[in-house]
Amino acid sequence: MSTNDPVQRQMIREAMQAVAQRKPGRSKLVYDKTKRTIVAVAEGAQAPQALNITADDADMFGVVTVSSAWLREKWPELTKAGFLRVAFSSWDDGDALTQSELCVQASPTTVRGTFLLDQNTVEKGKELAILLEPTEASGSKQSVFVSTDGTAYRGQIVQPIDPSFQSSDIVFADVEPQLALRRSGILETTILKDKTVLCIGLGTGGAHVVVELAKCGIGRFLLVDRDRLSVGNVMRHPGGISQVGRSKVNVVRNLILEKNPNARVDVHPVDVGFDNRDLVAELVRASDIVVCGTDNQQSKLLINELCVTANVTALYGGASRRAQGGRILRVYPKRSACYQCFVAAMPEDASDVEISSADDASEIAYSDRPVAVEPGLSLDVLPIANLMAKLALLELIADKSSTLNTLKRDFDAPWYLWLNRVEPGTQYADWPPLSESRDEMTICRWYGIYFDRDEACPVCGDFVASLAASYGLDPSLLPALPDKE
Amino acid sequence: MWTTDQRNRLALEHQILQREGFSQFGVYYDRTYDSYYASGVATSSSGRHYSLYSPIPSGFPTQRPPLYVIDPNPLLKADGTAIWRLGVSHAMHTLTPHDKGWVQICHWRDARWHSGIVLQKVFLKALIWIEAYEQHLATGRDLADFVRTMAEAA
Repeated sequence: MSTNDPVQRQMIREAMQAVAQRKPGRSKLVYDKTKRTIVAVAEGAQAPQALNITADDADMFGVVTVSSAWLREKWPELTKAGFLRVAFSSWDDGDALTQSELCVQASPTTVRGTFLLDQNTVEKGKELAILLEPTEASGSKQSVFVSTDGTAYRGQIVQPIDPSFQSSDIVFADVEPQLALRRSGILETTILKDKTVLCIGLGTGGAHVVVELAKCGIGRFLLVDRDRLSVGNVMRHPGGISQVGRSKVNVVRNLILEKNPNARVDVHPVDVGFDNRDLVAELVRASDIVVCGTDNQQSKLLINELCVTANVTALYGGASRRAQGGRILRVYPKRSACYQCFVAAMPEDASDVEISSADDASEIAYSDRPVAVEPGLSLDVLPIANLMAKLALLELIADKSSTLNTLKRDFDAPWYLWLNRVEPGTQYADWPPLSESRDEMTICRWYGIYFDRDEACPVCGDFVASLAASYGLDPSLLPALPDKE
Repeated sequence: MWTTDQRNRLALEHQILQREGFSQFGVYYDRTYDSYYASGVATSSSGRHYSLYSPIPSGFPTQRPPLYVIDPNPLLKADGTAIWRLGVSHAMHTLTPHDKGWVQICHWRDARWHSGIVLQKVFLKALIWIEAYEQHLATGRDLADFVRTMAEAA
């Protein structure tokens, strides 16, 4: 008996699929030490001279993945013509063929193919031919395609064109339902599909936040960052070495679409400054929440002003120098302290930012007093980004039903502080070790810190009236300014 | 271009300057270009005069207003070279100079500026800078030796 035996091969396939799906099957795979080959035996059969095959060993067949949504859309075309052209990205020497429509980034190698409804129509040639045959809808759902008229089909390769495709399974990917299934139980609502997140600054933190939100099912993203991905960024940024040189907005757009293919992503590779405040103001108004991932103080203050004016909730997050720790400020316009209130109240904290690049350093350095580039580790930035994503999610689910709603009780402070490690010479140097603390503050814990909004804030309060009053002036009676001297 | 809030703020800034003993400075409106600027002549303790000029940026008060010494121009170091050639200098507490060679005083860095800072404080820092500049002229030592780095809060 060899593995070319069709019956044994079918048993092997079924047994391996059962193992791969972590489900009991009618047969199991063993390596028969006496025959020195793999065989399928009935589940429960005693095989003392055999070695059980585990799930790790089960992945020996290639996979051809097809978009169910695409096939349903093209179904009228297929039924009318009897065939339908398709293209695949070929990965790992043909081990996996992924339909091009599913690929955010394509493989360098493309395999062309045709879907058929009748085997007799196979054209001899160089194209992969996949026959769709009606079937009883049983077994793995991923191996069954249900057409627009409700008929179930299985796919079978009838013209492999390459021996490596001969045994490949045809898998139908119903992307959106399958992704939503993984979120169900935590995020029952579909409201997130209609929510828009504006992220300004797509460094390690900002990029991580939006990718996490994409996984949660957020439907629309507006991305703003002027920078390109550099080699040095790759150590921390979710973008990889193959993306170096590309605009960060485009790199992150692809990362989002890899996780949520139905997301709408608008990119703006521009600087956030006073020269383009109209554009930024427009983006803020179009958003349900703003995630501010930039470390530039002037940018943050501009974003704060625009968010308060547009009454849009904003999150300001960042790591401190060398990512010793980090902080997040959540601003409910005119209900909680805004970023200007924070800067005025805690200027040292506001200016303690991570210097992760030469650009960051040049913004605060003098020509005769350079500032060292001292980036932190990715693993020290990600706790901050994770909480930012969670806080953003809490805002976006609003009062809709979700297991996450219980977190609103816990995250009710405007400002959050996190410390990755205690460094000598810092204000945290006296913090006790994690293992010895009782009620004292320690590393690796989030602390919600409460402070009040400044009623006389220049952005969210009435600064002019307050200041005028302190000088005994009536702001409504101020004389006009003198004209040019 | 200018919002009511900005106009009110600038009107108040002018009044504060006039009432708080900074009447040598003022905020002015240029109808031709619909622009605002703050300016005036500072007099050092030694009696020297320095003309100061601050074009109000469109993003004020969120955006930091630059402050230039427009006269004397060029403003010279103790060794006779022009300060503007230093560019952004910690030793002389200067930021990017104007195209016309005007020295930009580092009153607050962008990273420290916020809209709660009033022009009165900007001019006060300019006066301190001028005193330090004259100490530099007298001793040849860096201006930074006579003023603290502009790190303090507003």
